Amino acid sequence: MAKDIYEDFLRLTGFEEDEIPKYLPEWRKASVKLGLTEDDVKFAVEERIPTYFDIKLEGVRKMLGSYLKETVDLTKASEYKERGVKIVYGILPAILHFYYALKLTAPDKVFVSFPDIFLTLVLNGFFHKLNPYLEEAERTGIPYGCRHCALNKTRYAARRLGVIPSPDISWIWGFICDEAPKTDEFIRIYHDPEWKTYITRLPHDQPLGTVEDEVIDRVEYLASQMKDGFEAAQKEIGIKVTDGKISEVVAIWQRYANKLAELAQLMATDPQPLGVMSARPFWEPLFCPFNTGVDSMENALDIVIKEVKQRVARKEGILPKGAPKLMIYSVHPSVPWIAKMFEDNGVGIPFPEFFTLTKKQLMPPTFEDPYMAAAENWLRMSGMVNPGYQAEQICEKMATLNVDGLVMGLMDFDRWLGSDHRLLARMIEEKTKLPVFYIEGDNWDDRDYSQEALRTRIESICEIVKMRKA
Amino acid sequence: MDILEGMAKTARTRAEHLREQKGKGVKIVGYVGRFVPEELILASGALPYLLCRGGQPEPPDAVIPYLLRFMSPYTRSQIGYHLLGVDPIVPMLDLIVVQCSDCHESRLADLFEYFKLPTVRLGVPTDWEKSLSRDYYYKGLTRLGEKLEDLTGNKISDEKLKESIDSTNKVRDLLKKIKLLRKAQPSPIGGYDFIRLNHYSFYCDSAELPSQLNDLYGGLQKGKSPFSKEAPRILLAGHVVAVGDYVVPKLIEDSGGVIAAEFLDEGMRHCEFNVKTDGDLMKNLGETYYLERTPPSIFQPAWEERVELLKKIIRDFNIDGVIWYQLSFEEVYNLECSIISRVMDEINIPFLKLESSYEYAREAVGPLTTRVESFVESIKQRRG
Repeated sequence: MAKDIYEDFLRLTGFEEDEIPKYLPEWRKASVKLGLTEDDVKFAVEERIPTYFDIKLEGVRKMLGSYLKETVDLTKASEYKERGVKIVYGILPAILHFYYALKLTAPDKVFVSFPDIFLTLVLNGFFHKLNPYLEEAERTGIPYGCRHCALNKTRYAARRLGVIPSPDISWIWGFICDEAPKTDEFIRIYHDPEWKTYITRLPHDQPLGTVEDEVIDRVEYLASQMKDGFEAAQKEIGIKVTDGKISEVVAIWQRYANKLAELAQLMATDPQPLGVMSARPFWEPLFCPFNTGVDSMENALDIVIKEVKQRVARKEGILPKGAPKLMIYSVHPSVPWIAKMFEDNGVGIPFPEFFTLTKKQLMPPTFEDPYMAAAENWLRMSGMVNPGYQAEQICEKMATLNVDGLVMGLMDFDRWLGSDHRLLARMIEEKTKLPVFYIEGDNWDDRDYSQEALRTRIESICEIVKMRKA
Repeated sequence: MDILEGMAKTARTRAEHLREQKGKGVKIVGYVGRFVPEELILASGALPYLLCRGGQPEPPDAVIPYLLRFMSPYTRSQIGYHLLGVDPIVPMLDLIVVQCSDCHESRLADLFEYFKLPTVRLGVPTDWEKSLSRDYYYKGLTRLGEKLEDLTGNKISDEKLKESIDSTNKVRDLLKKIKLLRKAQPSPIGGYDFIRLNHYSFYCDSAELPSQLNDLYGGLQKGKSPFSKEAPRILLAGHVVAVGDYVVPKLIEDSGGVIAAEFLDEGMRHCEFNVKTDGDLMKNLGETYYLERTPPSIFQPAWEERVELLKKIIRDFNIDGVIWYQLSFEEVYNLECSIISRVMDEINIPFLKLESSYEYAREAVGPLTTRVESFVESIKQRRG
């Protein structure tokens, strides 16, 4: 019997033998819609995934499978829409409770997704095949030279290419960057008049060093903005969410977050038991809604925790005990070779900074009102706040994880999250006296910064850190 | 045009004047952006100074050790000159008010604060159609007023505010009259001069400015146009032509075109929109600055309204072609440019996008000149 590479792909991504025959036709159909060829799938099975993900672990394989399921589901959004299901999109970063609450309130009537996240992660991370989307966007109105964000280009191109339908509402959070919400305005005017958008924004106007979650006016304003946006989204799709449903979501979210905290603790052990690329995708459900639900990811997380515990017990690591470790601001599976290059050079990156929590972030909210609590939570997050406060947060995290330095950058497409890294690097280095490195690059799109281009930089950083540690 | 050159001289010597005034105890308040009402600063007894320099590559580069290099060269310039040690104004400012309507401006404010310059931010929510956002901006203005009162020790009374609004309205009225003269064919004043005139209006003595503008208006009415009647009429659009960034406007007019109108968010007085002088003056300021004027590109929604306004200008000023002046890495304007480019195509108006990172060395200006000349020439040929 001829080898079926699509079947092998499902096997590799944690599908059980009895699931495969049922799922295979859907996966084949989705792969065509996504623009994947048999060669792309073969490349993923034989090279890409085994190189960058720890496929020896069942939990990792099942996590990859959860992303595949979600992406295949995304390709069916047009069919859902034809059946009258309401399509709700959002973008990163957002507090996803509201999206999940919509889904939980009317599971069969609502489809929720941040489409660009799944497309970027799966197409680039698994197949290294995001380029056709990026190039489609660049050919049709989002020019290449301005360093626009790959997520925005992908969202736009996915619509142009017919991968996703128009949303009934795209509730866009412009709390961070300007380009994301304006991209939705662009899509509506330039390509798709049916692309309905509601935006929720917050000016970056707090003085350097302000502890933003303690400025009551700011928390109140943000809460009002969130409430306003959520009400608009509910009105648009004709679904009313109760506060009880939001609480239900918070409980699910909290349960998942607690499990992640356990994985985080395990990642911090010496020797580091798991590479960051295999762990990092587990964090996405905290920030990005899965229309298929979190059960599949939670199951994968339970398995991986068990497996990593076994590695810890056996003192088995991806690097020798005592290897230096760096905190990195952000790495993403879309460009998985960055993290691997550090690990191959003997330096561990147990965690992205963004996903490491401060003591304050672990504290319960001060407010009972769900919007005030969400706003306060948002204003405790690194990157959402002014650089002075953010620098304090990063210093605390570095101390907690006892890292040997920090890597900033790799966000050069982002005029908010990526624009202050050089400044932050100075502030943090002054405070911690630890080395802080800056890498110009893009953690979604590696067309401009190839492995060859960054190799020298990363190797030098690793050498410096190893020499300091020696 | 002697008046314009006289104003240019006053503007060039503004630093000395401000230093002198500062010596007498007058507070000097720098500001960034169109949402900071000059009227409020004047009413507090301080002297306003618009930070709006650009056109040279070194100042934006001076910011790179602190900021992502893919940021607006215009915004980076507002602190870049200071970091190079060649800004005579910034070190003497008692306060710098930075409007925070986008990421570029907010990062500029971060840098001012990092370098311990006295900074205050004015938040400008871009989702401007919500009452929530309007109230936020209005509150911000009130807080700014209080800050100015603390700084100067002067109460911003209704009387003082009315006086400053009246005086600024007068300036806007006169600039509007001059602007409308440009509907004539040939236009009595081109864009290179009109943009400079706008710039100088920020740096001349507010007491003398109305009479200077009035004289200029009179002179333009009577004088002969420096342009030929056949000169293609160009609309210059984009974010901003900064003070000192005159290469492109001059090149357009040196190539045989005339800039008959502008569509720029910053660096120009929005002279179509006066502030009402009765009722709640702070609210009037807020309404005019936030709601009534043309929404900037960053506002959302904005682009459909802006396209309609652009079309109206094209009709009213009999425009032959549009040049979009795109500053590098200004992501929102870059998106808007694609929309406008397509609309221009639909209405059969020639469109040219020029991108600048303020690199105007001989090697860069050569190709730029060729493009502008070809564009102007192609419009002439179209007309037959």
